[in-house]
Amino acid sequence: MNKPANVVLLVEDEPKIRRFLRAGFELNSYYVLEAENAAEALKTATFSTPDLIILDLALPDLHGSEVLERLRSWSNVPIIILSVVSSEDEKVRLLHAGADDYVVKPFGMAELLARSEAALRRYFKTATENPVVVAGPLSVDLVNRTVSLNGNPTRLTRKEYRLLHILAMHVGLVVTHDQLLREIWSGNQRENIQYLRILVRKLRQKIEADPNQPRLLVTESGVGYRLQNRPEPAQQS
Amino acid sequence: MRRAQRERVDCRHRQSLPGARSRAAFDAAAVGRPVSFSTKATYLGYHLSPAQKLATARARLAESESRVAPNLAPPLGDEQTTNDRFRNDVLPLLLSAASVSLVTGLLSLLDRQLALTIVPLAYLVPVIIAATQWGVWPATLAAIGGMAAADFYFFPPIYSFQIEDPREAIDLLLFLVVALVASNLADRLRRETEMLRRREREIQQLYAFSQRLAACFSISDLIGAIQNYLASALGPQAALFVAMADGRIELPQSGAVPAPVRDAVGTMVDTAKTPARSIVDQATRDLWLLRAVSSDTEVHGVVAINIGHGSCEAIDSKTQRVEAILEEVSLTLQRLDIGKAMEDARLRLQGEMLRDAFHGTISHELCSPLAAIRGSASVLEEVPQVKDDARARALVEAIAEETAELDGFIQNLLNATRVTAGGLTPRLEWADPKDLLNEAIRLRTRRLRAHRVETEFAEELPFVHVDSALIAEACGQLLENAAKYSPSGSTILAKARAEPGRIVLSISDQGVGITAVEQQQLGLRSFRSARHQTTIPGSGLGFWIASTFVQANGGTIAVSSPGQGQGTTVSISLPASRMTASELTALANE
Repeated sequence: MNKPANVVLLVEDEPKIRRFLRAGFELNSYYVLEAENAAEALKTATFSTPDLIILDLALPDLHGSEVLERLRSWSNVPIIILSVVSSEDEKVRLLHAGADDYVVKPFGMAELLARSEAALRRYFKTATENPVVVAGPLSVDLVNRTVSLNGNPTRLTRKEYRLLHILAMHVGLVVTHDQLLREIWSGNQRENIQYLRILVRKLRQKIEADPNQPRLLVTESGVGYRLQNRPEPAQQS
Repeated sequence: MRRAQRERVDCRHRQSLPGARSRAAFDAAAVGRPVSFSTKATYLGYHLSPAQKLATARARLAESESRVAPNLAPPLGDEQTTNDRFRNDVLPLLLSAASVSLVTGLLSLLDRQLALTIVPLAYLVPVIIAATQWGVWPATLAAIGGMAAADFYFFPPIYSFQIEDPREAIDLLLFLVVALVASNLADRLRRETEMLRRREREIQQLYAFSQRLAACFSISDLIGAIQNYLASALGPQAALFVAMADGRIELPQSGAVPAPVRDAVGTMVDTAKTPARSIVDQATRDLWLLRAVSSDTEVHGVVAINIGHGSCEAIDSKTQRVEAILEEVSLTLQRLDIGKAMEDARLRLQGEMLRDAFHGTISHELCSPLAAIRGSASVLEEVPQVKDDARARALVEAIAEETAELDGFIQNLLNATRVTAGGLTPRLEWADPKDLLNEAIRLRTRRLRAHRVETEFAEELPFVHVDSALIAEACGQLLENAAKYSPSGSTILAKARAEPGRIVLSISDQGVGITAVEQQQLGLRSFRSARHQTTIPGSGLGFWIASTFVQANGGTIAVSSPGQGQGTTVSISLPASRMTASELTALANE
């Protein structure tokens, strides 16, 4: 790859966590910047324009959600939140405030890297890039609006495709219930999460090998859905 | 002339005491002849009837001279000896007879004409004295004796009961009427005074008692105060049976309380249901009142009091008195309860602060290093040198393993503190039961590695309205338990099925099963069966957390096991959507 390295800004007050994050990202050819508090983070984000920000919520000077808001007021840079146990409410709030995804501590580097890549892909997607999203056996052509599973075309209803389309645009990232409901339905049905659940069930029937054990379209409890870009192999037989 | 006098009296009343006019006028009319006497009394300015006032004055005098003990003592014990009967019944009659004789003697010393004019008045004195001191019967005796003596000694013909002058006969009859009325009034006054005095003493005792109660800061203080009060006010005819810690009542083998009553107290074990009863002691025919001393929440003992075997009225008044005491006691108990509740609240608050601090400490001081270890290990795994070296890789894997183990334990502690800190507010949403079980299995992938996990979902499952994260965690806890208590390689079955109005999620294993005794204790926090304490590691929090989470979502949890060694099935029942999936599909596609 002769592409310039992606620049990641690590905003984290714990030096030990910063250290392994740096190692992990450098191992995967990222260029790493560090900030140990909110002030430094905002400064670095302004002057060094990173491609990705990993933001810890517990900062000594300002809460992470505040930092998120300030960054979002002028930048679209992908932001992934790190947090110790946080409630689903808080996750949803952060996602609505503009976070691209979140990772709950303790986490493995692989998980964070997967989220980071997904966020970067979405950020750098251009019209010239291949408009086909591939997730395991599934491929979604966002331009021609066709879906194929293991190379075979799959017919979806309008709403099913709409759902898959939104998830595919954010492949690898979580999409909240609210966002899905808002973009698929309009009017007073927007609030009814039961419709979304039904639609997901039907879509799973068509795209999942075992709809009862979904690997592609996974549920994020209390938050939303995620289309896995690298689905885990099915668990033991 | 008498009419004129009466007019004058009325007039005086009108001037001095308008409010008491009619009453005094009536009295004067009733008294008739000795008007001057009653008018004198009215001058004292009382609005009670004159005879009553005089009696009061007498009574006061009598009180200052000597305590007329027998009648005034708290008459709760009515055991009468012959001596008492003489003193109470015969002596007053003798004394009133003697006082009539004394008046006769004094009058006989006076000039005859003078004596004759004051005879009726003079004989009224022993009547009043007898009425105020000894009651209505000695007074009646004095009245009749006085009339007889006046007739015999003073009205001609002397030393004969015959009367010459009809006017004198009328005088004597009037005297008798006045004397009887006055003695009745005086007697009533005496009784009322006595009662008032007794009341006053009771109130004083109650006041002293309530002062003692106010100084009570514990139940044992209170019991001491009650015992003290009962002993001083009621003597040995009352006893307090203290309830022990287990709610049973301690029964002394002997004491002033007769055996049948003690036995009755013994049967009042569940005193909350029978707060009061009375029992007649067959031997002495005394009525015993049994009253529970209790606050809203707890029974502290039973008071047994001998009411005696007097009239209904006497029993009523004593009962009222006992109830007044118990009223005080129960108020104090409530106060103590409130005090205790406040103390409890303070302790709880402290506990919560500790827990919050613990929560904060765990999340920061434990989770951060753990995150660093876990993350570092995950980076190490990717380092080429480690990837290529099997030994190094095994070590890194061991680190990851143990960290995950530790993390699970910490998450459990956090969940437990979440529950006990009362911070459990479910965030309800419509969820797919399949998602819940899948999520639970995904969360516990590592711990379920050694087992075959199978899922079985009914078709068209309706949705459940729950906090998905909580229910997924609850199912995860149950899966973990299933894995822990069943042999490696065995199957764990996670099922979701619909029942009318609800969804049942069940997790079955082929493990050690559960005995009936264990089943009862299962809901307790930190319960771990003695069978497994040494062989299977765990905190015992799992089931407790699961059941608390399920209950917080309006669900129920049930455990069944065909027996020891035959596996266990835990079922979570949750309220489900009334709409079936197909109805919803139709709507969603509109």
